[in-house]
Amino acid sequence: MEAATVPLSRSTSLRRLREAGGRYVLIALLLVLPVAYGIQDLSQTGNLSRLGNNLVDGLSNGAIWALVAIGYTLVYGIIELINFAHGEVFMIGSFVAAGFFGTIGLTAAAGPAGLLVGLVLTLIACMAASGVLNVMIERVAYRPLRGAPKLAPLITAVGMSFILQNVGLLWLGGSPEGIVDLIRSQEVFFTFAGVEVSNGDVLALAVTIPLILLMTAFIGGTRLGKAMRATAQDPDAARLMGINVDTTISMTFLLGGMLAGAAGLIYALYQTTIWYFQGFTAGLIAFTAAVMGGIGNIKGAVLGGFIIGFIQQISDNRIGSSWTPAVVFAYLVLIMVFKPSGLLGEQTREAG
Amino acid sequence: MSTPAASAPVRRGRMPNLELPQKAQLPVAIAFVVLLIILPFFFAPGGSVMNNLVLAAAYAVMALGLNIIVGFAGLLDLGYVAFYAIGAYAMGYGGSLFLSELTGDKGFAVFVSGPAAELPGVHMNFLLILVLAIVLTTVAGMVIGLPTLRLRGDYIAIVTLAFGEIIGRIAINGDEIRLGNFQLTAGRQGITPVDKVQLPGLERFTSLDLRAWYWLALALAVLVLLVNFRLRDSRLGRAWIALREDEVAAASMGVPLVKTKLLAYGTGAAFGGMSGAFLASYTNTVNADQFQFSFSIFILAMVILGGLASIWGVVLGAIVLSVINNYLIPDVLNSVPQRLGLDFDLTEVTAGIFGFMLVIMMVLRPEGLLPERRRKLELEEGIGSDDAVYEARMA
Amino acid sequence: MSGAVAVGARDSEPVAHEAILEARGVTKQFGGLTAVKDVYFSIPRTAIVSIIGPNGAGKTTFFNLLTGLYKPTEGAISFDGDEITGSRPDQITARGVARTFQNIRLFGTMSAVENVMVGQHARMRAGLFGSILRTPRVRREEREVREKARETLSYVGLKPQVHDQLATNLAYGDQRRVEIARALASDPKLLLLDEPTAGMNPQESDELTQFMRRLRDDRQVSILLIEHDMKVVMGVSEQITVLDHGEKISEGQPQAVRADPRVIEAYLGKQESERQH
Repeated sequence: MEAATVPLSRSTSLRRLREAGGRYVLIALLLVLPVAYGIQDLSQTGNLSRLGNNLVDGLSNGAIWALVAIGYTLVYGIIELINFAHGEVFMIGSFVAAGFFGTIGLTAAAGPAGLLVGLVLTLIACMAASGVLNVMIERVAYRPLRGAPKLAPLITAVGMSFILQNVGLLWLGGSPEGIVDLIRSQEVFFTFAGVEVSNGDVLALAVTIPLILLMTAFIGGTRLGKAMRATAQDPDAARLMGINVDTTISMTFLLGGMLAGAAGLIYALYQTTIWYFQGFTAGLIAFTAAVMGGIGNIKGAVLGGFIIGFIQQISDNRIGSSWTPAVVFAYLVLIMVFKPSGLLGEQTREAG
Repeated sequence: MSTPAASAPVRRGRMPNLELPQKAQLPVAIAFVVLLIILPFFFAPGGSVMNNLVLAAAYAVMALGLNIIVGFAGLLDLGYVAFYAIGAYAMGYGGSLFLSELTGDKGFAVFVSGPAAELPGVHMNFLLILVLAIVLTTVAGMVIGLPTLRLRGDYIAIVTLAFGEIIGRIAINGDEIRLGNFQLTAGRQGITPVDKVQLPGLERFTSLDLRAWYWLALALAVLVLLVNFRLRDSRLGRAWIALREDEVAAASMGVPLVKTKLLAYGTGAAFGGMSGAFLASYTNTVNADQFQFSFSIFILAMVILGGLASIWGVVLGAIVLSVINNYLIPDVLNSVPQRLGLDFDLTEVTAGIFGFMLVIMMVLRPEGLLPERRRKLELEEGIGSDDAVYEARMA
Repeated sequence: MSGAVAVGARDSEPVAHEAILEARGVTKQFGGLTAVKDVYFSIPRTAIVSIIGPNGAGKTTFFNLLTGLYKPTEGAISFDGDEITGSRPDQITARGVARTFQNIRLFGTMSAVENVMVGQHARMRAGLFGSILRTPRVRREEREVREKARETLSYVGLKPQVHDQLATNLAYGDQRRVEIARALASDPKLLLLDEPTAGMNPQESDELTQFMRRLRDDRQVSILLIEHDMKVVMGVSEQITVLDHGEKISEGQPQAVRADPRVIEAYLGKQESERQH
């Protein structure tokens, strides 16, 4: 609290420091875990290979969170809504993947070429399913509430999330379900300086990076992408300019859902265990990533995804995976306190 | 406040207006409460109907507490379960064997009689536990509220949700946290048994006669009902409505945002804590698995179903949803999917049913079953927006 | 009329008597944009003064700085002898500054009376427990505040039969009145009115002008006005400050400001376009 009697020069310079400082405080907070455990590793083993392994696993986890986070950020950017059901769209992506393997009879014995074709088909199926699902969610639960107070669509979003969780529960039952390990996810692909890079890590990045590049190119280059950006800036002006806002919003949900579907496939292949509740935690982790990067900012979502993936991996590996949600949520709260506009975000009206 | 409703443009005119005229409210309220008081004489004292009544009353206490935060002040709190947890642990600490390693064989008893006074662990009179729960949850409510003060509505929702999950995680993993002989929680194993409620001048409650439990829960509910009514028509209540509708204008009219919001969080949280302590004793366990996100939504759904900020509406919502949750779904309709040839029990999809109700209510009748006049206007005409941000929020 | 106006210089405070509010070198930046730049400004006690300027000149930003909604990037503001730089809006209101908004910001779902009661928030004492227990003191206060709200509403000319109407259902002119009543409810020493005649016909504007004078005389309130209607500004102001692009370009008595070539230059484009309407 700033007292009214604080000398002028001090109070303004303090305030400036705080405004500029938020980002550095956030960065410092993000560095606490890696640096602390890095020092611990160095003093105990003399090298950083354990932290390196955390980093690699973190990046591949982060790839999944990045894909999901982009969905949050796109939707928030365009209609300022936290699509609470997005985590469940991701979960359904995983479920479709598992179902599709079974349907086309894909097994690890299919050989490299067969696997590649099968996985590409699965990827298309997952993306289509999650994309369409996300569009339907918007149509049913959000569009009727456009113009209502902000709380209304947020509440329906929570409702949709619960409904979809139960769809997942009825689909595959209430406990985690193991699925076929198509890519021998944990097998070491190569080792570099004591850091093991597994098949799963390679797959995660090999799918994610092209998708993100495609997405960025799409939004930057196509007419639809421009319409999306215009609508995000000012829906009324966009409408006056002849942009079909409803279609643009639907397309945004489609894109976000497709990326979540892809993330669902990667998750299924990487973890080889899926269950109906995976979307809840994943959704909140990815939302944290989106906020960390600066909501509305695609690059920020990707950056946030990788950072949160790393932190999550460190927490899983060292603190205990049952604590990980608490660690991630603590970061969410800290971001909100110190830099609600995120690492790459501008001081926007949503962040205050 | 006898504004003719006719002058407001009504868009959803087909929906019946269930609001009672001002003059009829007090007699109807008294009749309703009297009915509730004599209700137990019609049922078996230890039966399932009584059990459902006790739970409904306890949930109503929580829903009315949450109504202060979400309904009055407009702060969407998705982590209300945190206060249930904290209240329950207040009971667990203050009325069970849980802390026996700290107290030794002799135990530590405050204003309790009977065998509990001789047992190890801490055993306090229920009134003291209520006070403890209120203090703890009020503080927790304010601490959780602090980071949300300069955030917009949807961010508030997520931060409160995050806090709720953090508390839930601490409850689950608390058995790993030890400080000497002190263990933070009993994790998923749960603290059990928990002392039955003992009030001054009364015999200790038993699980055979649920009427005493019911009357206590009803007393708490009437208390929180009264607090709701009194606060709604007060300086503070007007300040809540003002900042819900327009923070900038409210602050410019002299309403201190920080204090006013924290009072909403603190007051609402206190009732969650009271009910939490009661439920811990009533259900005889403090188990970390009880404190999940879906519980927050369960309580929120009561507020939404009844009508945001509508006090009687919230009571109705609490009763309806308790009955659906504790009676209709498990006892009446559970086998319906089976009979339709589907391979699941309805209890498995309870959360989905509540989710479905949230969506349906928000799309078709956002103002709830018994709408509050202001909230109805806000929801129908979009009065009040939370997008105005200025720099002084934190100050 | 030769340019008898001192322009924007620091030593040119045309203060004849003690100032109720004083802004010294106030600057406000939003990112790279400077909305208000190094403005020195003061309001004499019980005076009626105006700020004018073309659209986007930073008038409303300046209002928001004075009322604490924004904090100055540089500079200091004092009110009634006390420093209020960086104080919260509610603290500033409690000290005796009240305002209205350019686009009326009443609490739509509250009645006119309740709106005015919110305006008295800072003057009330009922706390959480007092309100729950509804102590005699709280009851009395509530009754007095309601009474006073009705008086204030009548004072600004709102008919008693609409006192209990919801603000959102009131006629436009009545909404303006309620907003002024709500501001007056906090017993301000300084009242800031942001374009109070916007949307009014000439007769209503005249009435408002009369009202401002009466208000000042009745209650010894100082009034700061942002206004586009030059007839109102020239008719009622004892001092006029002209902002353009966030800077003070002129200040003085109405006649002098009207003749200032810099003011004419700043307004030229605007007047041209207004003539075409």
